[in-house]
Amino acid sequence: MAEMSLCNRRPVNDEETLKALLSDTGGKEYYKQMESLDVDTDLLWSTISKTMNSRLKTWLSLCAHCGMCADSCFLYRISDRDPTQVPAYKIQSTLGEIVKRKGKVDNAFMRRAMEYAWARCTCCNRCGLYCPHGIDMGVMFSYLRGLLYQQGFVPWEMKIGAGMHRVYQAQMDVTDEDFVETFKWMVEEYEEDYPGLAVPVDKQGADILYTVNAREVKHYPEDLAEAAILFHLAGADWTVASKGWELTSLAMFAGDWEACRLQVQSVYDAMERLRPRRMVGTECGHAHRATVVEGPYWAGREDGLTPVPSIHYVEWLAEALREGKLKIDPKKRLKVPVTLQDSCNYVRNHGLRDIVREILSYIVEPGCFRDMDPSKEHNYCCGGGGGFNGIGLYRAERNKALITKRDQILNTGAELVVAPCHNCWDAIRDMVEEYHIPVKWSFLKPLVISMVEIPDHLKPKE
Amino acid sequence: MFKHILFATSATEACDHAARVAFNLAREFGSDLTVFHVMGIPTRGFSRTMVDVRTREKVEPDEEYSAWVCEEIKTHYSRELEKVPGCDVCVAVGYPHREILRQAREKRPDLIVMGGTTGSDEDSPYRKILPGSTMLRVARAAPCPVMVVARPAASFWGGISSIVFGTDFSKASDAAFDYARELSAFVKGELHVFHAVDIQKEGIFLAQDMVDARLREAVNRMRGRYGSRMEGVDNWSVDAWEGFPPVEIVKYAREKHADAIVMAHHTRTETEEETRGVTLGSVLEQVIMRASCPVISVNRHRKTG
Amino acid sequence: MLAFLTGPMFWIALVVFVAGLAARGVWYVRGLNWQLDRVAYRAHPRAGIRGALRSIFYWLVPMGTRGWRVQPFMTVVFFVFHAGVVAIPLFLLAHTVFLAEKFGAWLPAMPQPAADVLAWAAAACIILLALRRIALPEVRILTDLQDWLILLLTAAPFVTGLFARYDAAGYESWMIAHVLSGEILLIAAPFTRLNHILLFFLSRAQLGADYGIKRGGLKGTDVAW
Repeated sequence: MAEMSLCNRRPVNDEETLKALLSDTGGKEYYKQMESLDVDTDLLWSTISKTMNSRLKTWLSLCAHCGMCADSCFLYRISDRDPTQVPAYKIQSTLGEIVKRKGKVDNAFMRRAMEYAWARCTCCNRCGLYCPHGIDMGVMFSYLRGLLYQQGFVPWEMKIGAGMHRVYQAQMDVTDEDFVETFKWMVEEYEEDYPGLAVPVDKQGADILYTVNAREVKHYPEDLAEAAILFHLAGADWTVASKGWELTSLAMFAGDWEACRLQVQSVYDAMERLRPRRMVGTECGHAHRATVVEGPYWAGREDGLTPVPSIHYVEWLAEALREGKLKIDPKKRLKVPVTLQDSCNYVRNHGLRDIVREILSYIVEPGCFRDMDPSKEHNYCCGGGGGFNGIGLYRAERNKALITKRDQILNTGAELVVAPCHNCWDAIRDMVEEYHIPVKWSFLKPLVISMVEIPDHLKPKE
Repeated sequence: MFKHILFATSATEACDHAARVAFNLAREFGSDLTVFHVMGIPTRGFSRTMVDVRTREKVEPDEEYSAWVCEEIKTHYSRELEKVPGCDVCVAVGYPHREILRQAREKRPDLIVMGGTTGSDEDSPYRKILPGSTMLRVARAAPCPVMVVARPAASFWGGISSIVFGTDFSKASDAAFDYARELSAFVKGELHVFHAVDIQKEGIFLAQDMVDARLREAVNRMRGRYGSRMEGVDNWSVDAWEGFPPVEIVKYAREKHADAIVMAHHTRTETEEETRGVTLGSVLEQVIMRASCPVISVNRHRKTG
Repeated sequence: MLAFLTGPMFWIALVVFVAGLAARGVWYVRGLNWQLDRVAYRAHPRAGIRGALRSIFYWLVPMGTRGWRVQPFMTVVFFVFHAGVVAIPLFLLAHTVFLAEKFGAWLPAMPQPAADVLAWAAAACIILLALRRIALPEVRILTDLQDWLILLLTAAPFVTGLFARYDAAGYESWMIAHVLSGEILLIAAPFTRLNHILLFFLSRAQLGADYGIKRGGLKGTDVAW
């Protein structure tokens, strides 16, 4: 069969292919082609033979079929307890079945597996905390995504997202020039309010190398300005890299491991080149997980660590507030009921549950913070993680998936949700739009800027 | 002064008054005119979906869609476009204030023309993103003056011959003065420098003696500060009134048959209010909503180069 | 017959059980791969071991994890059942005598009334587990033939043992069935999901090490299981 133009096994490696995909509005043609995409069963089985080790095989065979994972999955809970939404079933009937059949599966099977991998699991890894045998189905789904990606059975936006990383080393078509130029533009816009505000580009040996999400550059560059302002007010010695500035990885959502490696390597190269004392990433969950938590393994770093210590924005912010580099005006603390959205990607998957609460203890009036139930590492996914937010094909499912978080938020009675994660932030925004709930939502940066005391020597002269 | 005008429009009736002024200006001064419309606001994370600001439908924009929106805009402004041939129409996807500022940074226009707020409509896609109007955000950060035409009454307008400059003696006001003076000189018109003394302070009315003293002080200050810098302006005056400042400015402008009010936009207070999620009606915003002529907001000295 | 079953056959079963599970364990541990698993086991042994032990410990404590606490019915049934299937074979007086004969060392025996209660409770739990498999849709959809098979394999020594205890007339035949089913269980263990006798610990240790090293352990955060 002739290879199809849009939907095929080839990753997107050039701008032209990317444009062709983009011009296929909504992926209509792409999904039509997918219906006749054949499965390379030999490749599938040889890949499994090479990459499926004892842990994964044991997880598949060890499952006691006890169903204790069912209730841990928010997608199961909001689907009227549909048994086909039980995590163990979802993975057994997809990855388990592929292994059982030694890779001999057909197109219809793969398309069903795609739906399971991207619309029935957000890789939030919550089920792993509820399995007595310690089987983490989120990890297995991520593995399954890799197999599906290799075969071309991947949602349109994911194929594009991974392609963006391959072409631009960023999740959107933002070039290195765009990044530096936008950051400078933002600093110019705010330098009158904050005299001396600057963005040091490619400074060697700074304390902090700051990395961002390309979407900030493209759509809300205020975020860049806010980061610069807080570093400036805290007197931080910081810099950005003109290359290797993108922290995120849609390639991770897509299961394109090669693009994942290329992407994090670009950031690691920036670290090696500029030798900062540490790296601080923006308020993004998956980006932190990709570049800091999983990235070292893609890049083949045996110690599982990034070339220089890398921390999440919340860690830097907590430190700056704790050490008094940033001082909060107590009068301006948040006085409305506030709740916090724990990001799966750095709370459950990187242990930052207490640090975020420490920040809230500084910026929220005592007595105004209301935790969700459950919270911390047991918190539910926002409903849009793992790429779910961005996939048009599964929009209806995603909107339904927001219900868990919506009810969790409403139960706290909070008026403001602090969401220091791009994905959660987006999901909550969509939730407010979809269900008309009376809450506001925010990243930490604008909140802190609205209440931070500006040291006298940094105040503008009138 | 008006070599290149950027007209940022929602391409709805809300901007028709602004359109009239923008096209008139362009015709009168032979300006290059760019009609710029932010057609959609990105939504749903990194998906391709956007909300079309006019139809409010969720669509996935592509080149075809952009071309279609451009055509729609050309149809909407067909009568005006006849008078200003060669005008450029372009569209973009993004958060409106940001995209307008991006255009302004790229094209370096001499003036941005905008409509007022798109209304109190809770459902408006513009309202979804962030509190605060697009106009205030653009005015706060624009590299050039921003002319806002909020009311139909502000657009029936024959040209510029009388200019009112409202000052509060801030640094930003100095920049606004320079622009007002330059504009008056350019059009060979009158320049009326004005200050309003707020008779209320923290809810308490000031005693009239105090008000009188302040009025005298303000007049002296204006003469001292601006009087010596009136190069090119033959006809100028200085005045100070007391009352509720925005209303006083509007009344004064009416008395002077002003064709434009020039004011500074207060950056810092605005930023603080915006980030806290509340937009208090600034003096500028109040003036814009009440004035019977276009209001030009100047935020900073024009950058050269 | 009984002599053969308690003699050579016992040794065969035990060797298959131990060797089979050991092989399974060695295969598992050797198959772990820092890069494929994305856990730097070797680079951070202390954090890994600490995470592994925490993970095993909390899951061995009834109600020790949130997972156990949110499903109290299952947890009670689960622990009573496992207490029975672990304690009875090792600590029932008759078994300790038997094991002492074979190995020469005495395990402490539990009092007979306690053993009776535990045995009956475990048997009841087996029935509850079976009912749970049928009654709950989220469990039913997962259940396959092997689940029933291993439940049967586990139930058989219990049922036959209890009959042997109370049915004096049929003692001899019940004992044959009892020993035989016990040995079948031992032999089947390495080849069925009963291998969780060992792999539970290894798999728990692996995820524990993952949390202990990569997912927050090195940040000083102990995951609240």
